Amino acid sequence: MPDSSPPLSGLRIAVRASGVAAAYAARLLSTMGAEAILLEPAEGSPLRCEPPFLPGSEVSALFAYLAAGMRSAVVPDGGFGGLLSEADVFIDDTPLAEREALGLDEATVARRHPDLIHVSVLPFGAHGPKAHWKGTDITVLHASGEGYLLPNGLSCELFPGRPPVKVYGHFAELQGSIAAALGALSALWVRPEAGGQYVDVASQDAALAVGAFAIQRLGDGSVEHRVERSFRYGGVIPCADGYVELLTLEQRQWHGLVELLGKPDWSQDPALEDSLERSRQGPVINRHIREWASSRKVEDIVREGQKLSVPLAKYYTPAEVVRDPHEQVRGLFQPVETGAGVFDMLVSPFQFDGAPFALRGGPPALGDYTGGAAR
Amino acid sequence: MKPLHGIRIADFTVHNAGPFCTPLLSQLGAEVVKIESAMRPDAFRKPHPVYGRMGPATFDQVASTKLSVRINLKKPEGVALAKRVVAVSDVAAESFRPGVIGRLGLGYEDLKAVKRDIIMLAVSSSGQSGPDRHFAGYAPLFGAWGGLGEMTGYADGPPIEMRHVMDHTVGMNSAVAVMAALHRRRATGEGALVDVSAREVASSLLGEALLLAAAGEEPHRMGNAHPRMAPHGVYPAAGEDRWLSIAVDGEAERQALREITGSADLSDEALSVWTRTQDANAAAECLQAAGIAAHASWTTPEIAADPHLRERHAIVEVAEPDGKRRAAVGVPMRLSKGPEIGIHRGTPKLGEHEDYVYGELLGMGREERTALEEAEVIY
Repeated sequence: MPDSSPPLSGLRIAVRASGVAAAYAARLLSTMGAEAILLEPAEGSPLRCEPPFLPGSEVSALFAYLAAGMRSAVVPDGGFGGLLSEADVFIDDTPLAEREALGLDEATVARRHPDLIHVSVLPFGAHGPKAHWKGTDITVLHASGEGYLLPNGLSCELFPGRPPVKVYGHFAELQGSIAAALGALSALWVRPEAGGQYVDVASQDAALAVGAFAIQRLGDGSVEHRVERSFRYGGVIPCADGYVELLTLEQRQWHGLVELLGKPDWSQDPALEDSLERSRQGPVINRHIREWASSRKVEDIVREGQKLSVPLAKYYTPAEVVRDPHEQVRGLFQPVETGAGVFDMLVSPFQFDGAPFALRGGPPALGDYTGGAAR
Repeated sequence: MKPLHGIRIADFTVHNAGPFCTPLLSQLGAEVVKIESAMRPDAFRKPHPVYGRMGPATFDQVASTKLSVRINLKKPEGVALAKRVVAVSDVAAESFRPGVIGRLGLGYEDLKAVKRDIIMLAVSSSGQSGPDRHFAGYAPLFGAWGGLGEMTGYADGPPIEMRHVMDHTVGMNSAVAVMAALHRRRATGEGALVDVSAREVASSLLGEALLLAAAGEEPHRMGNAHPRMAPHGVYPAAGEDRWLSIAVDGEAERQALREITGSADLSDEALSVWTRTQDANAAAECLQAAGIAAHASWTTPEIAADPHLRERHAIVEVAEPDGKRRAAVGVPMRLSKGPEIGIHRGTPKLGEHEDYVYGELLGMGREERTALEEAEVIY
């Protein structure tokens, strides 16, 4: 029988987070069973005041999502030692310039807590000429490549003169979170041999890593640009009542698309059997696809397309994601008390052994942790 | 010390989402054996016309630092050989549509039979369960299903398709999940089936918007605007297609910006009048000096040449087989006790490491290998 305990049971995380990157790193680990304690000043983490807010309340939806399942310890400046001595991992986004005074610099933490995995998460990292630079999601996104490259496809066609547009929310910061969680677990893996160590994560590096293909293409001699990197055909397709995404990469998928379109005359050109020729004729093909889709409904196109194994997806609104029968079956959401009511909250984007994880609860009340060294 | 030294991964992943997981782990020290065949070579070994690549890639980020062996999984002997590789591995990773790996005879139960505590990573568009589990999908579809595409874009425009960043976000999440499974195995001796759904990874990037929707709100895309910070956006700078990103947080920063621009008006239009006269990089430095988050909107060549990213080894130089040097992206972290992490091998040739994997790890003799080659099992 597989062990059903969460994979990180017994692991203790202390996190000092004024931003998204550090907080979500701890959230990822907490959702997989680690006990995460949020170290907060008396007035609470700034994340508690970060919009958007849940309706009719002052409860930050962002904080609720990031801190779900954690406990909160109010810790005065300089008083972190007790909780750090109990922790396996310390995740910190304190600006570099403030760390030494708080006893949170790399050397001090390593000396006082030699077995601790100390994870620093900053916009530009803790090392390098820009380590002290201030960063937010939009500026980090533009420092790491993807910022310059969006929008592409239909939006770029419609608004060619507009500034680049960012990915929704905290995309670049969340990449820092995921890299920090990976760094923490990797350093923990080798702790029996190496002891504690310092993990330096930059959201810029992490956002760059997930955009690595632009660097790869640069080495091939191509400089990506939002105008040119549109799919030759497919992409965002306007329909009668919304949008679908279409992307056919394999020959059989092209054949399925032709079938879906009703085998129109233009699609029967033998030259289009060649994928390179389809690429060359992409704009013409797309014109036909858009014309066909403009009078059809999204649900019909997706349903019929997927039957033919054509990669097609509806652009779901957040409400549609929450109500999605597929996600209900998989248990992606769990009702939690947020402080503004009980609402469904996303738990985790992965599962173990066929079952979703479970959040311990909603966001913590300020100072609700009174155990151990916080007493 | 590379932290994952001693971990071995049998890598059956294809396309981008799954394959981006294993090179992260390999840069951290795991030994990743990429299993492919001449019958179905990896996507990077072929042209990719939809993306406009008319030939094979000469370097592939997601294949670097991997070992390559050939196995024809269409033959029973190939499946048996794959199981032998799995039997000496800690992790088996795959990213076929749900059900495919099982039909090949390499599902989780099959692999547990040859390695009781194997950790199996299964990456797919919609997960291994649920009514949509059979859906075919790629990065833009993950973003569409997950809500991220709908929430991204100009407020008055259409949704935006997510590109490779979506795939690779799935891969990095997968690496986290695999590491968690390894920790559990260390504690309990048990393996795991790790099910990563790409559309759910997309959704995890907008958890607060989903929570709002669950509470009855209707969150919508808002371009470059921020719910609290202002000015906040991307502004034209001096030069063709040059842009400057700025995020101003609080009244003190707004006052500092007024002093820099010489204007009390901080509307986007007024700010653009100032930014149009500024070099993007110089303006970012000026604003940073005043405590305001700002950065030029960098092109790829600017990123590849950046001294900060190079000093952090986020950008590294790698050599191609012909000796040509090029920029590549390193694993996004620095470890105080693991300075040697990162890319240490380029893109493998098909079957390049069979002497090591088949000869040394599996103890296969030349005669056996030749027979399997002639039978198009090692193919």
